[in-house]
Amino acid sequence: MMLPLVILYVVSLVYLSITERFRNFASIMLLQGLLLFVIALLRLHALAPLELAFIALETLIFKAIVVPAILFVIIRRTRINRVTTSGTSQFHALLLSLAALAASASVTYYVADPTVDPVFLGVALYALLSGLVLIVLRQRLFSHMVGFLVIENGVFLFSTAIGVEMPLLINIAILLDILMSVLMLGVFFTKIDGKIHADDADSLTNVKD
Amino acid sequence: MIFGIYLLLSVVIASAVFAAPGRRSIHLAGTLFYLVQAAFAAWLFAGGGYGTSAGPLFAFDAAGSLFFVLLAAVSCWVFYHSEAYLRGCDLRQTRTYFALVMLLTAAIAGAYFASNLAVTWIFLEATTLCSGGIIYHRRTAQTLEAAWKYVFVCSTGIAMAYLGILLLAAATRCESLSYDAVAAVAAHGNPLYLKTAFLLILCGYSCKMELFPLYTVGVDANFAAPAPAAALISTGLVNAGFVAVLRVYRLMAATEVFGWVKSVLLLVGVLSLVIGALFLRRTNNYKRFLSYSTVENMGIAAIGLGIGGAGVWAAVFHAVCHTLVKSSLFLQMGVVRQVYDGYRINRLGDYIRINRVGAVGLLLGMVVAMAFPPSPLFVSELMILKETIASGRWWLVAVMLLLLCIVIYTFCLRLIRLCYQPNQDELHPSGADKALSWSALSLLLLAMVLGIWQPELLRDVIDQIAAL
Repeated sequence: MMLPLVILYVVSLVYLSITERFRNFASIMLLQGLLLFVIALLRLHALAPLELAFIALETLIFKAIVVPAILFVIIRRTRINRVTTSGTSQFHALLLSLAALAASASVTYYVADPTVDPVFLGVALYALLSGLVLIVLRQRLFSHMVGFLVIENGVFLFSTAIGVEMPLLINIAILLDILMSVLMLGVFFTKIDGKIHADDADSLTNVKD
Repeated sequence: MIFGIYLLLSVVIASAVFAAPGRRSIHLAGTLFYLVQAAFAAWLFAGGGYGTSAGPLFAFDAAGSLFFVLLAAVSCWVFYHSEAYLRGCDLRQTRTYFALVMLLTAAIAGAYFASNLAVTWIFLEATTLCSGGIIYHRRTAQTLEAAWKYVFVCSTGIAMAYLGILLLAAATRCESLSYDAVAAVAAHGNPLYLKTAFLLILCGYSCKMELFPLYTVGVDANFAAPAPAAALISTGLVNAGFVAVLRVYRLMAATEVFGWVKSVLLLVGVLSLVIGALFLRRTNNYKRFLSYSTVENMGIAAIGLGIGGAGVWAAVFHAVCHTLVKSSLFLQMGVVRQVYDGYRINRLGDYIRINRVGAVGLLLGMVVAMAFPPSPLFVSELMILKETIASGRWWLVAVMLLLLCIVIYTFCLRLIRLCYQPNQDELHPSGADKALSWSALSLLLLAMVLGIWQPELLRDVIDQIAAL
């Protein structure tokens, strides 16, 4: 049951690298939120019911509902629909993404250690690299935001595989992270577009030497 | 329990400031807040708190206690200077600013005393939120851009650090994320996991420590934030990053990858020093200039950690003294802004005639920051150089000396220009507040005292921190 979910998660990351429509970005975030919710339920079923419910609910509410909803609202309000000023072609983005996937798989295979689930480590590394690739290759701030969310999701996925002190600390950490994501989305949504009229990272070049 | 009360009181007072009806209430709340800080510091060193722990998540060890005392002092100075700095601001902005400064102070204290990797991480994340609001204080397009970059890059960096923490826990097969528990089993960890974990953590925390590679956001933050707040960000917050990296460094000391960890720190330190030295020459803004000086100094501290041995002691002492020196210089810059309403290096001048105390403070700060005796930085840099020579790394000595020469030349050029070149900007009608210049100077004088005489207690505390 777990493996198909993780494979679907990886496919969503690959698709993220080639899609240019922001609506698809938001949909993938929604899909990843749902996948993380199910994975968390399956992985952490040994936890106390209250703790499991807390983790599952926060994942479902924030990652699968609130964050994608904010993304859709931003798309509707700003009327930014696609990556028109993409720094690279879809083909090159796909190549880079696949290279990142190969690198993550190689690292995981090379360090093969029984203490860590290799599938989760590999996917977390791939999510980290995918997020960074998205931030570096795309110019629009919306893409950067999605890149950050992809990294956050990857870290969350990995945390479910580790499970140390999961009930308390990792929960708080993840909640704080989600709060940060929502705050950043809010800043993006209310301030930057209103004050700077910028949706492109190239416009944010006033603060420099 | 005690730390819980401290955090609760700090947060309650800060929250009350958000709803303060006037400046007098903010002043009262500030007084109360710093009384709490002072009481906690007194409890640490006089009430038997030092060396104890508060549950499984916090411990009042040497590193946390030393840097907390510095933080409380600098934050108190920052509050006093901020009151003058924000005299013309509307009440809403003033309230938000002071509340965030208090919350930032409490969050940094949490990061200092955390005895658990995840707790350190949580408090560092909290500092990002508070700093973001402070950076955006002036509500201009530039400050918005700086705040956005700061929050975005810090969040991404911190997320990477979190991945590193989880990997560290996995590598050591540790069921807990407490520093002691991880340290106890770190020696048996998978070396490749440990290396990857350290790289991710160092990379993530570099945005707080203002170290290569994510130093840029710290520079932008100091540039956009009000000068007194920049003093706190550039010292207290930077020290939080330093303490976090130091704790992970100590974890690694028991592992077989420690040599590799030290090499990475050396490389990162040298790169930070290069960037600091070169960008000091390039920038045309005094606050960015001081920020690059922070990058340079943290580079030196990282080199100290990378060298090991007495270099660790020197690195900690360097961070302690840098806190006093840099906060003094940033606070002096706040007074400079009162006079000129700006920080442009190529246009400001004649400061010696306009504000003699402030100019003397800046020139003295220049001498101390350049590590000339009786600067305490002279002591730490000399120790690091001696340890580097003892380890036979002559190439590193040559690179450091060359870069420090560039730093000295640039510091002299820029700060002497501010004091003596003809002024090309209009003067601000409010003029300079000499009491503020004296107060900033007092921090510098304290640093100079440490350069001549280090109290036994301070030496003992640093000995404990540096013991691996």
